[in-house]
Amino acid sequence: MIKPLITISGVGMLASILAAARAPRLWLGGVLAGAAGGLGAAVLALSTGFVWEWRSELTIGGEAVHLRLDALSALFLALLSLIGGAGAVYGREYWDGRAHPRSAWSERVCWSALVLCLGVVLLTVNGLHFLIALELSTLSAYFLVTLDRQRSEVRAAGWLYLAASHAATLCLLAFFTLMAVRTGSWELASMRDRPELAPLFWLALAGFGLKAGLFPLHIWLPSAHANAPSHVSAILSGVTLKIGIYGLVRFSGWLPMPPQAGWVVAFLGVSSAVLGVAFALGQHDLKRLLAYHSVENIGIILIGLGFALVAMGQGNARWGRLALAGGLLHVWNHGLFKSLLFFAAGSVLHATGTREMSRLGGLWRLMPWTASLFALGAVAISGLPPLNGFVSEWLVYLGLFDATLARGSSAWAAIPAAILLGVTGALALACFVKVCGVVFLGAPRSRAAADARESGPAMRGAMLVLGAGCVAIGLAPVLFWPAVLRAVDVWNPVWGGAATPVALSSLGMLHVALTLLALGAAGWLWRKARRGGLRRAVTWDCGYAAPTPRMQYTAGSFSSIINEWFASILRPERHEHRPEGLLPVSASFTEHTPETVLERIVMPAGRVVMRVSTAARGLQHGRVQSYLLYLLIGLAALAVLVVLGGGS
Amino acid sequence: MGLNLLALGTNRLPSLIRAVALQGVALGVMPLLMEYETLNWRVAAVALATIAGKGLVIPALLRRAMRAASIDREIEPFIGFVSSLLLGAGGTIAAVAFARALPLLPEHAGTLLVPGAIASILTGFILLIGRVKAISQVCGYLILENGIYLFGLLLIHSTPLLVESGILLDVTVGVFIIGIIVDRIQRAFDSLDTRKLTTLRE
Repeated sequence: MIKPLITISGVGMLASILAAARAPRLWLGGVLAGAAGGLGAAVLALSTGFVWEWRSELTIGGEAVHLRLDALSALFLALLSLIGGAGAVYGREYWDGRAHPRSAWSERVCWSALVLCLGVVLLTVNGLHFLIALELSTLSAYFLVTLDRQRSEVRAAGWLYLAASHAATLCLLAFFTLMAVRTGSWELASMRDRPELAPLFWLALAGFGLKAGLFPLHIWLPSAHANAPSHVSAILSGVTLKIGIYGLVRFSGWLPMPPQAGWVVAFLGVSSAVLGVAFALGQHDLKRLLAYHSVENIGIILIGLGFALVAMGQGNARWGRLALAGGLLHVWNHGLFKSLLFFAAGSVLHATGTREMSRLGGLWRLMPWTASLFALGAVAISGLPPLNGFVSEWLVYLGLFDATLARGSSAWAAIPAAILLGVTGALALACFVKVCGVVFLGAPRSRAAADARESGPAMRGAMLVLGAGCVAIGLAPVLFWPAVLRAVDVWNPVWGGAATPVALSSLGMLHVALTLLALGAAGWLWRKARRGGLRRAVTWDCGYAAPTPRMQYTAGSFSSIINEWFASILRPERHEHRPEGLLPVSASFTEHTPETVLERIVMPAGRVVMRVSTAARGLQHGRVQSYLLYLLIGLAALAVLVVLGGGS
Repeated sequence: MGLNLLALGTNRLPSLIRAVALQGVALGVMPLLMEYETLNWRVAAVALATIAGKGLVIPALLRRAMRAASIDREIEPFIGFVSSLLLGAGGTIAAVAFARALPLLPEHAGTLLVPGAIASILTGFILLIGRVKAISQVCGYLILENGIYLFGLLLIHSTPLLVESGILLDVTVGVFIIGIIVDRIQRAFDSLDTRKLTTLRE
């Protein structure tokens, strides 16, 4: 049953690539058929635990094509299919042929290619094909990021993305080649019984960590996600980052692990989570802020994976299973709510033409669908009940709490991790209160915001599908638990199947009750408001004679206290001109949070490399005499080496 | 070896060429002196060819090139004459010291042949590195080659005649071609300063 679905999926995507240039409707049909096929296959694999395997006679690069779908890859395939399909529908309206006649067709081709290549990455069990598909998906993503390439910051973001991706590919190339050399084949399978392969994990961590946007390696992420068209940001953040997670989970399950691996991953996860949200708080650009939240959520996923690795290292302690299940469920959840948020942010951008939060405001009345769905996503990403973000974070918490009950070093690591996870959630909540308040509430701060119009049915429909996904996982976590558990069992079969934790089913019921309660309360308020009637008055009618929208809280002022706490890490740039005298004429204050890792570490290092290589280039100046001198020095050095080495 | 230092110390091209020629003749005589007890026609032929080639033909070619380019002085070398002399002397001492450290056959260990050869190679290098004019560089190259030839003398009985004559022919043809190139450079750039060739680097 899985094979025809996968075939439909592959054929649909290939057909959509061919149809993309001339027939947009056919393209949409192809992508949707492909997405439906992929989703069906993933659901089947997840619900039955069946492992589908297919070997072909066809060879690519001298290696036979070999595909495999198990519960772990199905988990990611389901997410890819959903976002790939929803994004295609959204993109039809967001990047339509009339507004972008020159790039609309290349958007369609690259979208299909990206989704298809990511699917191949998830299904293939051949290292060479994995690398090829990953590289092709990076290239398609690059062209999608730079669709609007007339703007120079888009080109710069695309360039940074490409450079970072190539650094990642370099690590992964070394990883796969070394693995192939040591095992004698490109075929990937479980290699737990070969302890000499353990050090390769560090290469995988660097490569997939760059792909996933781990904290110190996230430098490319904010600018790429902010400058790409919004549905592209959604798939980049919702799915492409998860490919890095997929690689880490897959190979940490297949390879033997160095003993420190779990601690390192957990530490990186905690630092990504806390610092990601801290950077997000300092942003004034709506999409850049969302991009930093991706770093945070990748951190939460990695906390789950890291503690699962620790648990595995300590004799397969059971709490590791909860942590990993939480992490994997968070893969789905983050994919859903982050794509939803990017879609909604794109809808705002589409309607107003700006991503600057200080130019928006008051959009709730003008764009009720977008605003409500954004708020839904915001509640989910802040980890508030009754939505899905709470479920997965809660599973991670459960794992951490069980770890603290277990004796040993893991307890000492789990306590601070749990506390920092709580801090992350609180900061995320503060951040989204800021976004919702500044963007959707209050009064419009600019002409563009005042003239905003609600987006059309295609964009709203795509957002509704994702919003429904968030609600479904939040209200009925028990339905999704077996699927996640199967993926966890693929990762470590030793843990074996166990019943649903009692707490999870009661959590589901609690969520339903909470929702009903909230709906009831909302209905009651609404009725009361309708009966009693609303009285409108000026907001600050005590001293402010003429309030203007510019007197509202700005994004910067809202979060300035929290920014102050993290100032030593964020290093915000401030320019202030204080009011002076009794009747000050002018005053100004601007604050900007740069990408600190990029600007303080990577770029200075790049400049040093540049200077050294420019100096080294001076060695080649065309004077024969000096070339001969180099030769002589080389010979003398060799002679010295021989004389010294001969003695030993 | 004194000739090496002479070559380093002079700034006049004719005396440089003369030093190279004398060195060639000395090299030619060397096998005759070394092997006079077991003299055979092969060694004699190699010796005669060397004297003719290195002592007469090559210097004649160089002199012609020099006349064609109408220069006879090396004016602004990269490494000054005194410092080249000092470097050459240092190199000679180092060569003697270095030759002691080499794992040589016992019958070669006592002779000055090996240090002489190494010193000549170093001198050739110093000339090649330190001089600007193309003709001086050719002379440096010849002295370097002489050093290698001197090293080859250790093996004169086992080296086939054909190889010896091949090397000699190579060197002669090389110098011949360089003579022509020198002429061309002179006509094209009106100078033999190799520093002006740096734009050809890419």
